[in-house]
Amino acid sequence: MAVKIVTDSLSDITPDISERLGITIVPLIVSFGHESFTDRVTITTDEFYHKLVSNPNWPITTQPPPGDFIKVYDELSKETDEILVITLSTKLSGTYQSAVQAKNMFEGNCRVEVIDSLEVALGLGLLVITVAEAAQAGANLDELTALTRNTMNRSHLIAYFDTLKYLAKGGRIGKAQGMMGSLLSVKPILNVKDGEMSPLTRVRSRAAGMEYLYNFAASFAKIDKLAIEHATTPEDNMKLAQRFEALVPKANIYQSTISPVVGTYAGPGAMALTVLEAAPD
Amino acid sequence: MKEADSINGEELREMFAAATDWFEKSAQDVDALNVFPVPDGDTGTNMLLTMRSSVDETCNISNAPNASAVAKAIAKGALMGARGNSGVILSQIWRGLAEGLEDNETITGTTLAKALTKASERAYKAMSKPVEGTILTVTREAAEAALAQVEINNNLVSVMEAAVAAAKESVANTPTLLPVLKEAGVVDAGGQGLYTIFEGALHYLKGEVEQLQLRRPWMIASNIPLTPKLAQMVVDSEEPYGYCTEFLLKGEKFNPDKIRSKLEKKGQSLIVVGDASAVRVHIHTLDPGNVIRYGTSLGTVHQVSIRNMDEQHQDYLETQKERMPASGIATVAVVSGDGLSEVFTSLGVAAIAHGGQTMNPSTRDLLQAVEAVPSNKVIILPNNKNVVLTAQQVESLTQKQVVVIPTETIPQGIAALLAFDYEADLETNTRLMTDAKAAVKTIEITRAVRSAQLDGLSIKKNQTIGLLDGDLLATGSDTADILNKILAKLNLSKAEIFTIYYGADTKQAEAEQVSASIRERYPQLEAEVVRGGQPYYNYIVSIE
Repeated sequence: MAVKIVTDSLSDITPDISERLGITIVPLIVSFGHESFTDRVTITTDEFYHKLVSNPNWPITTQPPPGDFIKVYDELSKETDEILVITLSTKLSGTYQSAVQAKNMFEGNCRVEVIDSLEVALGLGLLVITVAEAAQAGANLDELTALTRNTMNRSHLIAYFDTLKYLAKGGRIGKAQGMMGSLLSVKPILNVKDGEMSPLTRVRSRAAGMEYLYNFAASFAKIDKLAIEHATTPEDNMKLAQRFEALVPKANIYQSTISPVVGTYAGPGAMALTVLEAAPD
Repeated sequence: MKEADSINGEELREMFAAATDWFEKSAQDVDALNVFPVPDGDTGTNMLLTMRSSVDETCNISNAPNASAVAKAIAKGALMGARGNSGVILSQIWRGLAEGLEDNETITGTTLAKALTKASERAYKAMSKPVEGTILTVTREAAEAALAQVEINNNLVSVMEAAVAAAKESVANTPTLLPVLKEAGVVDAGGQGLYTIFEGALHYLKGEVEQLQLRRPWMIASNIPLTPKLAQMVVDSEEPYGYCTEFLLKGEKFNPDKIRSKLEKKGQSLIVVGDASAVRVHIHTLDPGNVIRYGTSLGTVHQVSIRNMDEQHQDYLETQKERMPASGIATVAVVSGDGLSEVFTSLGVAAIAHGGQTMNPSTRDLLQAVEAVPSNKVIILPNNKNVVLTAQQVESLTQKQVVVIPTETIPQGIAALLAFDYEADLETNTRLMTDAKAAVKTIEITRAVRSAQLDGLSIKKNQTIGLLDGDLLATGSDTADILNKILAKLNLSKAEIFTIYYGADTKQAEAEQVSASIRERYPQLEAEVVRGGQPYYNYIVSIE
């Protein structure tokens, strides 16, 4: 029986892919005041960003309760006896803890492994897609956990922000704290390091930012998969995706929207690029 | 002082001090010889400050030193105190002189000629691209004349006379060798400065006490006719350095106004308040003892406080917040203007070196900043053409790894700073930052300090002028007019944003108006208006 792959909604994997590869997605929760929504189940991305800018309440995000994971483990244990759960970084969310607690409470006859990806967004997404492809091809749980760790090392996510204020307000600014308070309007570029947001550099304008993202991708010699996602700017996303066709075959380019949960911290205008380097032969 | 066949170390020390005092009289005139009629022409002041640093160093050595020891002290003082390009070259000249005088107890005509030759060699070595028609030529020709004179008559005074005469001729000739001097209507400032120093030394050697005290140095006219008249530049009061001295004076029948006028000449930032029986005095001075002595001559002195302001500056650097990137590289920027300093600090610069009145920090100032930052890898952004050389001197004076990104304007410095990659190593960052500075254009708006004819432009004193990346490009009726003239000459197809940094003498409302007027013509450009508070340049504009 094939190993079943589970991840959370912050992986930004689009429904067509999750269906094709049999990936189960557990959604996080975003609330405005007393209104709660499950990520891309009861709120769409567009609705979210509209509310983000207009709603007087600042959104709060919550990890899925352990119960949600137990439900998933129960369901999946009917089809398999090995489950691999890959979550976003523990430094950015309590989702990993939820999944582990669920594993401890789970009483089924199924082996469950939970891995902290130290990633977010399509950084997590491309990782899960790669592992799911191997699972469909018949790899066992031990092989898949090894593959996960190996792939984590080859994954590089950088993100362009129009502003850091959402990140700072949401307490996720991590090591990029020093970038706050610039008296000049600059656009920060961050990456993910050891599971948290870290400063990379700054650019003077959005156009320069898009250029930086492209050049970053182009700096890698061998690319397995490329992902580009946006919060509120689909045209910029399209443009970059098209430019990337010069670097990798179109089939290896993934596009998505940044989940509302991440959007809470990224803010409108944010873009994230993930480069998954090819494994050495 | 006497007509001498040789001088010893003590006399060399005196001679150098006399030459410095002599030079001081015309430092402002030398400043006015700046090729560009812009307010930060500062060769004279920079050379003077460098000389003063040398004099201070010679006072530090023990009694009865030999000539070699004094020459070394002069070189060391100049090395640390060098400001601006002219200061750095001067420090190399003294270095060569000291090498030529190695182990010498005294200086004779022969050893002087040898030392001048070494000085000339060192000066040329200091420049990656030596240019004739500058202080280099003057040094060389003075040395050549000295050597030639030794064959005829090796008496010290006659050798010095030959050197001085050759220097004078050389300075007069500089416009012939360097076309930009001819166009600007001036002789080379550094060359004139060196001539004056030699002139002062000669007066000392000849025992001409009266000359030194009462006369002024000779400002050399060019050999070829030049059109514009030289105008004097007003030099702002210096930034305080030395000792912050305060005390309460008690007694009777005080006249605070009289006390104030007496103390005005003894330092800067003077405050005198009080009445007939109690006066509070505050002053920044190099000679606190002198000021206190004046106080005790008038009454009794209480609550005396003397603080070394150089130390205070150090403490400030040390208490700075640490915002060190993972790569452990710190940046030091040279900035003038409180607004601009805040901008650089907010962008993560670890330390800022202020230039002082000439906007050029000394080697020591930069070295202190480098040593103060909590990192062993330091990048320096000079942000001024006249500071690049000084910054490069620092590399060999510290154990830390120092790289100078040769930024020549504030916008270049900001562009370089933004391009800093928090994860990359020193080598990669050097490349990134150097590439970034090349991508920005700088426009500076200021007032001409004298009339000039330059590059086909006719400029009147006090007229508003505009420079593009350091080249004088336009004059006009007002700032917006000049900016639009210069912008019209640029290819703005790839430009995205222009930033206006307005100076200390400019009001925000005016800057906003200028910004609006540019956006009218170029609506595709984004605008940002920032308070820079910089001196001299009413507007610094970056195009990115």
